[in-house]
Amino acid sequence: MERRNFFKILSTASAGALATGCGTDTDKLIPLLVPEQDLIPGVEYWHPSVCTSCSSGCGVVARVMDGERIIERSTEGKTEKLRQRLAAVKKLEGNPLDQVSGGRLCARGQAGVQALYNPDRLRGPLKRSGVRGEATFQPISWKEAIAEAADQLMKVKNEGADRIALVTGTVSSTRSLALRGFAKAIGAPEPLVCSVASHAAERKAAEIALAWQGLPFYDIANARHILSVGADFLGGWVSPVNYARQFGAFRQARTEIRGYLAHAESRLSITAAAADQWLPLKPGSEAQFLGAVGRILLELNLAPKAATLPPPVLAAFQALDLASFIAATGIEERKLRAAVEQLGRSEGPLVLAGASTIHTNSVDAIVASHYINMMLGTIGTPGGMQAPPKSAIDPLTAVKFSESLAQARAIILDEANPLYTAPKAAHVRESLMKAGFVLSFATTLDDSAAWADIILPAHHALEGELAVAPATAAHLSLAMGGSFVQPLYDTQSVPATLAAIASVMKVTFQPATAKEIAEPLLPKDLTWETVVREGGFHVEAAALVTPAARTKKAPKAAAPLRAVSFSAAKFEGDGPFLLQPYLSPQHHEGASANLPWLQECPDPASSAVWSLPVEIDPVTAQRLGIATGDNVKLESASGSITAPAYIHPGAVPGVLSMAIGGGHQHFGRFASGRGVNPLEILALAYEPATGDLATGATRVRLTRVGPGKDLIQYSAHDKEERPHGHR
Amino acid sequence: MATGNPVKPHRWGMVIDLDRCTGCEACVVACHAENNIGMSDPEEAARGRVNHWIRVDRYYEGEFPDVKVKYQPVLCQHCDEAPCEPVCPVNATYHNPEGLNVQVYNRCVGTFYCANNCPYTVRSFNWFDPKWPEPMQLQHNPDVSIRPGGVMEKCTFCIQKIKRVEEQAHAGSRPVADGEVQPACVQSCPAEAMVFGDLNDPDSKVSRFAGDGRATKLMEELGTKPKVIYLEKAR
Repeated sequence: MERRNFFKILSTASAGALATGCGTDTDKLIPLLVPEQDLIPGVEYWHPSVCTSCSSGCGVVARVMDGERIIERSTEGKTEKLRQRLAAVKKLEGNPLDQVSGGRLCARGQAGVQALYNPDRLRGPLKRSGVRGEATFQPISWKEAIAEAADQLMKVKNEGADRIALVTGTVSSTRSLALRGFAKAIGAPEPLVCSVASHAAERKAAEIALAWQGLPFYDIANARHILSVGADFLGGWVSPVNYARQFGAFRQARTEIRGYLAHAESRLSITAAAADQWLPLKPGSEAQFLGAVGRILLELNLAPKAATLPPPVLAAFQALDLASFIAATGIEERKLRAAVEQLGRSEGPLVLAGASTIHTNSVDAIVASHYINMMLGTIGTPGGMQAPPKSAIDPLTAVKFSESLAQARAIILDEANPLYTAPKAAHVRESLMKAGFVLSFATTLDDSAAWADIILPAHHALEGELAVAPATAAHLSLAMGGSFVQPLYDTQSVPATLAAIASVMKVTFQPATAKEIAEPLLPKDLTWETVVREGGFHVEAAALVTPAARTKKAPKAAAPLRAVSFSAAKFEGDGPFLLQPYLSPQHHEGASANLPWLQECPDPASSAVWSLPVEIDPVTAQRLGIATGDNVKLESASGSITAPAYIHPGAVPGVLSMAIGGGHQHFGRFASGRGVNPLEILALAYEPATGDLATGATRVRLTRVGPGKDLIQYSAHDKEERPHGHR
Repeated sequence: MATGNPVKPHRWGMVIDLDRCTGCEACVVACHAENNIGMSDPEEAARGRVNHWIRVDRYYEGEFPDVKVKYQPVLCQHCDEAPCEPVCPVNATYHNPEGLNVQVYNRCVGTFYCANNCPYTVRSFNWFDPKWPEPMQLQHNPDVSIRPGGVMEKCTFCIQKIKRVEEQAHAGSRPVADGEVQPACVQSCPAEAMVFGDLNDPDSKVSRFAGDGRATKLMEELGTKPKVIYLEKAR
């Protein structure tokens, strides 16, 4: 290639509407899509956007500077390589004006930029060319792809639109709203959420106990003594950045007060590690634990607001068999009583319960925790549990998807990977095979998109306009970003794609824009331009509704939907061990497993990189002759997986925990064929009140296979575990 | 050197509050994003060749059910008496006037003496030329050079950010404000466990924390005089 050609620079797309950066001295007004002449080498611009790697909805700012990439261009049969200069995202940080992130960001959020520049991103629309599931595709034009998708959906619609299943993830955004609107427009059922982090149990419990719609917001920063139960709120639970920010303040931001955290969970999670006291629960005993806590508080007269409890609830706490409940938790009675007394005697107690691992009785447990907060008088108080504000975008809540999927003639996948997050026993593969038409909006080919007939790749969240409503926040809020970098490939935003399909189907559908959602919610002194510049907004309840309206919205504590019950968790299958797949800080549900920064980020428990082990307690390991690094086989009624073992000094005996994230069949070069997926062998057990998959309800057998090479540890507590010494 | 405070040079230091730290590793990824650290692949990682300028050490204490885990972020301690400095035969690692222990990449010949001598094992060696499959290079921070194979590298306290702030302060004829420089790890930390600032300024946050009853330094008994101060977890 000639030097002149190599240095030929293509200009980027020209200007769109105006938006401003925010933050530092180097700010200036620049067009949304930066023209080449405005890119000054070495000058940084900061643009607000939003993270979509979980449902927290953290507002972020992106550092944009000039960058170069090599592209190929074919003219007259000749292909030439060109260097293209374009605005590139260098880094993501939390948006300091955002109330969820407050300028901070977790590991996954920051790695979002590697999803944007992932080498395995789809370059344009694809049409299946081989047998479905073989993952062989050929490029197709947008026009043809849209026409074909519309044609196929039309056929199914004519037979009965209820046979069209839309499957999505947990992020409440303009994208999920468009999907919901599209479903409605074509007469299909509401989109289904396929996720092991839907927090359906937490939502349901708030509705049952307090008639609240949405996830309660915990004012951790102002509490003095927290008892958290089953919720890894610093790791893989709702809003880890916000709760970690609050945790820092809870510990050390107040003079004279240092918050005390006691944490009850069946795994030594990072929350348990940060806690002052960890109470290792037997899996599924959260309801019994909380029942015992409530009862002991009542016995000790440490429940000042016990009179506010609905009488059947109070009676249920008083009638429970304390000795058997304590025995069920596996915690020494003396320790449990001391922990409860400490909580009850605190000036600012708070009980925070959730289902990081979902059991068949998780809703019961969380409902009990709400009643304990009620008897402690911590509902709606500073340092207590707050009612969820109105959500700018209502979350999708239908979580039981496998039956609908099995009956579907057409399946539309967006931000969901059911083949990965659902167990084998849910027969997603069979459903995908059987369906007449499968459409995916994946940005990278994933396990489920590999089964699609047509893939209409979406923009990355940083390439298009997007607004996200956080899963939990103190106030009504929306985080949003405009399009400030040119889309790298021939992709399109999902709302635009849906609108195009609807138009060909001759169905009336217009996706709502962020502006349309936000404007009716804005107080008078806040303009849309300010919202765009600041990357979102939040409105305190006082500014949002009249005092009369607020009174109406107050928790209906006196009229709960039902009394508390403390059902025992049910487990499926046989085998002496319980499998506990968990959401780790670096991999969460596994949707970021294709990002090398996260693959080489050492696992907090085992220090594993590029691999994820099964955590086994030392006693069991010794009994079965298993050493760290050995391969072990986990066998349930619905299958088996072989993974490396990590002998974890803090593992609860009888519980085999494993982080979700490995075992992708199709997920780009960094994740495909790497490790195994613990979700795969789960039994089909559901939490009955929500229909959510119970992730902790599967019994397994454990056997040693032999020595293995799959566990790679960055650092280990003794050198023998690391044969090669150099770091 | 452009400093905002012409009277007294800065002496940069960091405080890490272990009572706030959750071990979430946001700092680890932030460091990679800021500093163009080469990516490993699983084969290289299995040989122990993963590069991190900051890591979160974990210590398990006790036996079940009374197990405690301690997480401790460890990065270059920017020692005043740095054991890595005098052993470098080519003067690639030296102490700059602001107290930073800096590495001159194009002097480094990869003798490994510095890494062998560092008690904190915070130096990482580029065993191979870093590779970024197209278009991952678009993310590269233009303020930080890409290091080739055979070169030792380490935490710089995000010197590029320090310089940027110092230049801005100098241009505005004002001193650098406390908290104005935020290395990537400090900036990202959700629990706000990390604080960065000037140890020469008695009113800076780091100076005040350094006098806290919980303040300790890592392996201080070696006489390395680290400039990273840990605040022990309160009991």
